Amino acid sequence: MNATPMDLYPENPDADLIVEPTVDTTAMATETTLLNPRFYTTDFDEMDRLDVTPIRAEWDKLIAQMKSDPNKGHFKKTEAWDKVDWASMDPALRREFIDFLVSSCTAEFSGCVLYKEMKRRGSNPDICELFSYMARDEARHAGFINDALREAGVAVNLGFLTKAKKYTYFRPKFIYYATYLSEKIGYARYITIFRHLEAHPEQRFHPIFKWFKEWCNDEFSHGEAFALIMKTDPKLTTSFVNKLWIKFFLTAVYSTMWVRDHARPEFHKALGVEISWYDQEVFRKTSTIARQIFPMELDIDHPRWIPNLERMNRTFIAMDAAKRQGGIAGKLKGWALGAKAALTFASLYTIPAKRHALPASVRLEPTY
Amino acid sequence: MGLFTRTKEKVPCTVEVSHRFESLHAHVRFNNGAVVYPGDEVLVHGAPVLAAYGEVIVEDRTATITRATPLERLWTRMTGDFGFMELCEFSFSEEVRL
Repeated sequence: MNATPMDLYPENPDADLIVEPTVDTTAMATETTLLNPRFYTTDFDEMDRLDVTPIRAEWDKLIAQMKSDPNKGHFKKTEAWDKVDWASMDPALRREFIDFLVSSCTAEFSGCVLYKEMKRRGSNPDICELFSYMARDEARHAGFINDALREAGVAVNLGFLTKAKKYTYFRPKFIYYATYLSEKIGYARYITIFRHLEAHPEQRFHPIFKWFKEWCNDEFSHGEAFALIMKTDPKLTTSFVNKLWIKFFLTAVYSTMWVRDHARPEFHKALGVEISWYDQEVFRKTSTIARQIFPMELDIDHPRWIPNLERMNRTFIAMDAAKRQGGIAGKLKGWALGAKAALTFASLYTIPAKRHALPASVRLEPTY
Repeated sequence: MGLFTRTKEKVPCTVEVSHRFESLHAHVRFNNGAVVYPGDEVLVHGAPVLAAYGEVIVEDRTATITRATPLERLWTRMTGDFGFMELCEFSFSEEVRL
């Protein structure tokens, strides 16, 4: 989950990362970054009506595994946490890596807020139990990333609590599709980097990557829970309209990931990862996993796929330039480019999907 | 409640902020069971709750819930879904250039 601060902090319209100097008792140069999670509501009555009876055996097994908390001891700093030489890190890499840490921390934090809210507002004991474990995991991940940020001299500020917060709304099924995909894509992203660094340990420029494997197993099991939730109501993944939505989510999420990763060249260069290769690899893993619940997958080997992703990326860069240019000319350019982005998206969306039959049993184990 | 008027409610609440290695979280609970609906705005009064590293702060506060008008509520329900990308995690912020 990704948070934007627009509604919460109208006085800082373009700042996801508000960095301001603060006085630190340790006299180390410190920046403060304000965490800006989003606040959501949904149709809690509809979620309460979820009935896990049809998948009870698989559900209980997954909940028991989450309850046993296999990663409880994992998020600790051990001697494997090498000293990081922040001072001599290339400034461009440092900027991108801090963006990675802050965005990841915000994402975990927002996930925690969302899951905790669902646990609190719900009355269905199965669903409430699930969300309490997921909130626990997300808060733990956030704490772990926060510690890495502190080492880098970046302190998070949780002052958002006493600012006005507007609550937006998502339909439950949008939460299922988006968070399922987000958790699975998170797993695929982390495990792909982890395996790459296993083979190339000399490229590991920060110890946090060593923790990615167990970390992404949490993401994986959260995704499993959403897959089971979707399985309780076959219409969610098989009706004509919902299939269009699923394809829409897949296309939107994959293309956004492509654009954002390509905007962070130094981070990937330091890891020794070629971005287009990495993204295709993450799409492939995610699509393979998602066969458990989605009746179709995007054809990422289609001749229109990569050229349109590249066009989308160029369009976003041009839109950013137009925004910075400002004025009427900048606005007009921005609109024209927005239309181009929409057409590019349509071209990606209309690539015929690969259909397949859904398996009877949903559950998977992380095997990459 | 009129179609265009916002009402405000003062509610007692408990805020919990944990700024620890084991858990980084922050929550607000309304002690009278008040429920927030789409489009409502919540403001917790008082100074910012600033937990130092390693600290958990639990405090009773007062919050104001500004209720959305029926039109705003409808609008939020209709358009909230468009923000669905915020539910997705991409490791990086949306800034094209840092």
